[in-house]
Amino acid sequence: MKKKFPVLSFIFLTGIVMFCFACGSLMTKDPLYMDLAHCNEAPGKEFLFGTDTMGRDIFSMISYGGRISLTIGILATLLSTILAVLAGSVSGCASARIDGFLMGLTELFLSVPGLLLTVFLQAVFGRANVYSLSVVIGLTGWMSMAKVVRTEVLQLKHTDYVLAAKCLGGGFFHVLFRHLAPNFFPSVLFIAVMNVRNAIVAESTLSFMGLGLPVEEVSWGSILSLSKNALLSHSWWIIVIPGVFLVGTLLCLTNLGNYMRGNANRRHSNLGCRKYD
Amino acid sequence: MRKLYISTILYNAGKFALRVFALSLLVFTISRLAPGDPLYAYYGDRVEKMSVAQQEQARERLGLNEPLFIQYTRWLQGAFRGDFGISYQYKTDVKEVIAARIGNTLILGGLGFLLIFSLALWLGLFCAWREDRAADRIICRIGTVTSCVPEFWMSLLLLLVFAVWLDWLPGSGAYSVGKERDAADRAAHLILPLAVVVLGHLWYYAFQVRNRLLEEVRADYVLLARMKGLGGKQVLYRHCLQGALPSYLSMMAVAFPHILGGTYVVETVFSYPGIGTLAYESARYQDYNLLMVVSLLTGTVVIFCNMLARTVSGRIDPRTRVQGFTGGGEVGDF
Repeated sequence: MKKKFPVLSFIFLTGIVMFCFACGSLMTKDPLYMDLAHCNEAPGKEFLFGTDTMGRDIFSMISYGGRISLTIGILATLLSTILAVLAGSVSGCASARIDGFLMGLTELFLSVPGLLLTVFLQAVFGRANVYSLSVVIGLTGWMSMAKVVRTEVLQLKHTDYVLAAKCLGGGFFHVLFRHLAPNFFPSVLFIAVMNVRNAIVAESTLSFMGLGLPVEEVSWGSILSLSKNALLSHSWWIIVIPGVFLVGTLLCLTNLGNYMRGNANRRHSNLGCRKYD
Repeated sequence: MRKLYISTILYNAGKFALRVFALSLLVFTISRLAPGDPLYAYYGDRVEKMSVAQQEQARERLGLNEPLFIQYTRWLQGAFRGDFGISYQYKTDVKEVIAARIGNTLILGGLGFLLIFSLALWLGLFCAWREDRAADRIICRIGTVTSCVPEFWMSLLLLLVFAVWLDWLPGSGAYSVGKERDAADRAAHLILPLAVVVLGHLWYYAFQVRNRLLEEVRADYVLLARMKGLGGKQVLYRHCLQGALPSYLSMMAVAFPHILGGTYVVETVFSYPGIGTLAYESARYQDYNLLMVVSLLTGTVVIFCNMLARTVSGRIDPRTRVQGFTGGGEVGDF
């Protein structure tokens, strides 16, 4: 049974991405302008999704901030993928000692809870901006992928064609990109999509807690960082609407990722409870 | 045989010590590379009013002037004596600050873990029993959606509905003012954070149980048991569950620190006085001594649980000893 391509998720995701990256022509208001005469206004004709506690238009902020959230997700994933492929393939190809060291390092990074490590590193970088946040999230997200790459490389490196490539004088990077990478690409792709998802979650969580992007720099997380004030003033739209966009994006990414994971083996169950009970 | 056993324990203890040591080195280096001046965290804005000589004196007294390596050895010596230094922000012993809060986190995390442990098993069994039927599909769908909801947003939604609109449950803290000993009051404060912790993690583990059981259900021994006349349910509970349990146990050992780490965000949103809010505060106010100990503490628990998981799965299932257990470090780390 082949998995169905998640058409709906794909369409939604494309829609959201286009909505965010075309923000210049779609925005009805300046997302950074604080219209103090219209604080905390409920969704209506002028402000499609209402305004936040600082009088900014939420519709424009979602469009404008989504760009930043998605950019961070992609940049962080690029970085973590590069790190993971390098660490994993070096670890898989190298001698037992280097392998042990690299895997020990991976375990060490895994042993500090992801969020705490991100907070810690971000504290070192000082005031966060889009790039520093991407680097920090990328630095903390490569471990599980590195493990997968290593396992794949360990299986692949004894195949005849890799041996042949090495005998013909192919260097490490040649073998990696021409022979190993195409083989472990499918299993890495799923994790990469999930890493985009995790990076977006990490960014929004950090910005929400006030440890990521500051309130002035609009992203989906930093919009939500005002939600504690919103709770006090019962303004549900400040919490619910940006969150729906966030969760929608994450859901679409998950569905696409699951599709890429490959087809599940579905033999018939031996339990046979349907027939006999 | 017995000798071998002792040497294994010694080997593992050594490995554990080495890892904790490496972790402490890592954490210490990062914390000292940070740009903020810890002097500010200790004296606040008064630093600006101090003369340069006074600042220098204060730095000398706190040992901030020494080279990094000396600072580390000094910190390590202190740590062996159980002295982790002073929290710059709270101005008391780091140990005291943590001791005052760790109980709350353990209650939240421990209860959450127990609930997830039992509910995931039950839900996984239920879904495996009803494979591909409506109930299973609905549960899986709900699970996919909840796994995509960031914990902080789920907390906000629950706060909005139950604390603001309906006003049924309290929304912040661990107890109301003046009711520190009131168990009912504490329980009421625990419901919302606990709900987020459980809902945030439950699905992932239930799904793992379900998938593991579905693999088990396709084995040949199931066919044999069925042919001998056992009912489907009996086979599932007696035989398949037994096959799936070892990997579930080792998975849950890895999961414990994950769930504990997951309470950190939740604690912050609900202003629940635990280790999580402490980590958050110390990161905000650059209280590195505190942040370091919190990270170290959490990391040590993780390392311990990981090694425990490996030992458990190695004892029950010898195959994993050779192949290397790859549990933990899943994709859904946040």
